[in-house]
Amino acid sequence: MAEVALSAVGKIYAGSVPAVKDITFAVPDGGFCVLVGPSGCGKSTLLRMIAGLETITMGEVSIGNRVVNRVEPMDRDIAMVFQNYALYPHMSVYDNMAYGLRNRKTPEPEIAARVAEAARILELEPYLKRRPRELSGGQRQRVAMGRAIVRKPQVFLFDEPLSNLDAKLRGAMRVEIKKLQRQLGVTAIYVTHDQLEAMTLADMLVVMNQGVVEQIGDPLTLYERPATTFVAQFIGAPPMNMIELSPGAAPPPGLDGVQSLPVPPAGALLGIRPEHLAVSADGEPPITDRPGDVDLDLTIDAVEAVGAETYLHGRLGGVGQSFTAREHGKMLLPPGTTRRFIARREHLHLFDAATGRRIEARS
Amino acid sequence: MVENRPLADLVSHAILILGVAIVAFPVYLALVASSSDPTTIANGQLGLLPEGHLFENYWKVLFEGTERSTKQPMIVPLFNSLVMALIISTGKIAISLISAFAIIYFRFPFRHTAFWVIFITLMLPVEVRIYPTYKIVADLGLLNTYAGLTIPLIASATATLLFRQFFMTVPDELLEASKIDGAGPWMFFKDTLLPLSMTSIAAMFVIQFIYGWNQYLWPLLITTSDDMQTIVIGIQKMLYVTDALTEWQLAMATTILAMLPPVVVVVLMQKLFVKGLTETEK
Ligand SMILES: Nc1ncnc2c1ncn2[C@@H]1O[C@H](COP(=O)(O)OP(=O)(O)OP(=O)(O)O)[C@@H](O)[C@H]1O
Ligand SMILES: [Mg+2]
Repeated sequence: MAEVALSAVGKIYAGSVPAVKDITFAVPDGGFCVLVGPSGCGKSTLLRMIAGLETITMGEVSIGNRVVNRVEPMDRDIAMVFQNYALYPHMSVYDNMAYGLRNRKTPEPEIAARVAEAARILELEPYLKRRPRELSGGQRQRVAMGRAIVRKPQVFLFDEPLSNLDAKLRGAMRVEIKKLQRQLGVTAIYVTHDQLEAMTLADMLVVMNQGVVEQIGDPLTLYERPATTFVAQFIGAPPMNMIELSPGAAPPPGLDGVQSLPVPPAGALLGIRPEHLAVSADGEPPITDRPGDVDLDLTIDAVEAVGAETYLHGRLGGVGQSFTAREHGKMLLPPGTTRRFIARREHLHLFDAATGRRIEARS
Repeated sequence: MVENRPLADLVSHAILILGVAIVAFPVYLALVASSSDPTTIANGQLGLLPEGHLFENYWKVLFEGTERSTKQPMIVPLFNSLVMALIISTGKIAISLISAFAIIYFRFPFRHTAFWVIFITLMLPVEVRIYPTYKIVADLGLLNTYAGLTIPLIASATATLLFRQFFMTVPDELLEASKIDGAGPWMFFKDTLLPLSMTSIAAMFVIQFIYGWNQYLWPLLITTSDDMQTIVIGIQKMLYVTDALTEWQLAMATTILAMLPPVVVVVLMQKLFVKGLTETEK
């Protein structure tokens, strides 16, 4: 098992703009790090540099205190699970798992034992003789996992391993992967653009955007204290509501309680998560407004009820910016009604409009 | 096409049968001729049914040779043709696989130049470069050898292009998975690329075997001694004899014999061959 450390890592593909810039972080031994970000932000590039499939243009990657910039993939003691699984189509499930061990001159009884063990853990025992094309997507995915775990590597690398599965299977496999990683205690780095996967799997979440790291931390910290507007909008679904505030100018109609916010001269963005916009249900007493809370008068124009919760879409003061609120249970307000929504002061996020960085002013 | 139209069925079957007949009838006639005796053919009395001299004629052709002209048992040219076709087809496949592998999977200086040079050889079949090639083979002392017979025919780009095209469709992740699994380039070639190419190889083998088997011009130039002769030339020599009648029954027997090996190859490889042309196993 080993720590994976990146220091000032950068990648420039031949004759193009940098795909990844100056990335520094360390995944502790046994940690589960998730790289998340929009398409094309350089997640795969970074992972492939750690795997040794891509040359490292700048900086250093070390695995277990050994700089591996010039080490071949096979000697880095890593295992990788690919998005399309990359199983050898002409080999049986058993041989797919055994191939890497055979290449390392592992004795055949040892191989048999390890494959049997992996097949047991992944419930692949009935399929060992089949070819990959005779398996379902989920089974192929597990073979790909099996190929990674039989090797007992220092680090697992995953590049969107679940994105070819249907939603239900994805949920189940997500739990499996987390369990397996805990059980084996292997350091893992996992690339995804699915934020649910990111939030649930990660001990350490790295949000990337356009080749740079936006924020690193544990998932809840990123949720509660996003460092930039990008992270604020990327983590959480539906995304955070954002409204511009200019210093001195009167707030847009329908918005109250923002006067006391420390808006910098360049202006600020006020962020409120949909789940933090509270409204009282019919027949209930109105929510008490405490000092520092922000009130919004929203005129509902669409209601989406998904059962356990309801998404309300409404315009500020009837004509202004659109907001989304997420309420528990059934809250079937008829379109056209105007309600007062309250956001508690501890749930407000303020960002500098010029830099997009978080303004930490409240205690 | 699961239509049920009896008339259309009838017409299309009639056309197909006619086509088969046009192709098959001469072959059948050759078979009949190869079972008759010389006088029947010479008198123009050849019927449509086989006669009784089949075994005798084939035995004679294989192990004794014709009466008057070359006097050579045809087993020798048959063997030579077989060797030539096998060397050409396996040689071509081996060289093409390796060069396609290099072009697709290795980054070396002048990689594209190398590819285009190979590509250009498509425009230079043996017939075009026959004089210089003959000169080289002669100067190397390779006249009347299997090497001289086959090497100039091995060097061509068709198979390389086919394998290059196939390798480009193999997903990059397979290479990357192999790398992580600790397979070097050679092991990737042997353990992953070759098994995946099996159907293409079979298709190529059939095509190249027939190409090699049917060679006429090059063997004609390069072989002068009887024991290096190929079957196609053997047939030709049987047909044009001076001062004597062509022994048609023997010539036809030779023709039938000459048709057999390609047929055997096609039948044996048929399953893989059709697969290789139509689908890929990925
Ligand atoms: N081989 C390559 N040559 C040149 N540019 C590349 C290459 N591979 C990736 N890039 C570029 O590098 C950037 C990052 O790509 P990368 O594959 O790392 O994105 P990603 O975050 O994994 O996206 P996705 O979520 O879509 O997989 C992209 O702009 C891409 O166009
Ligand atoms: Mg990617």
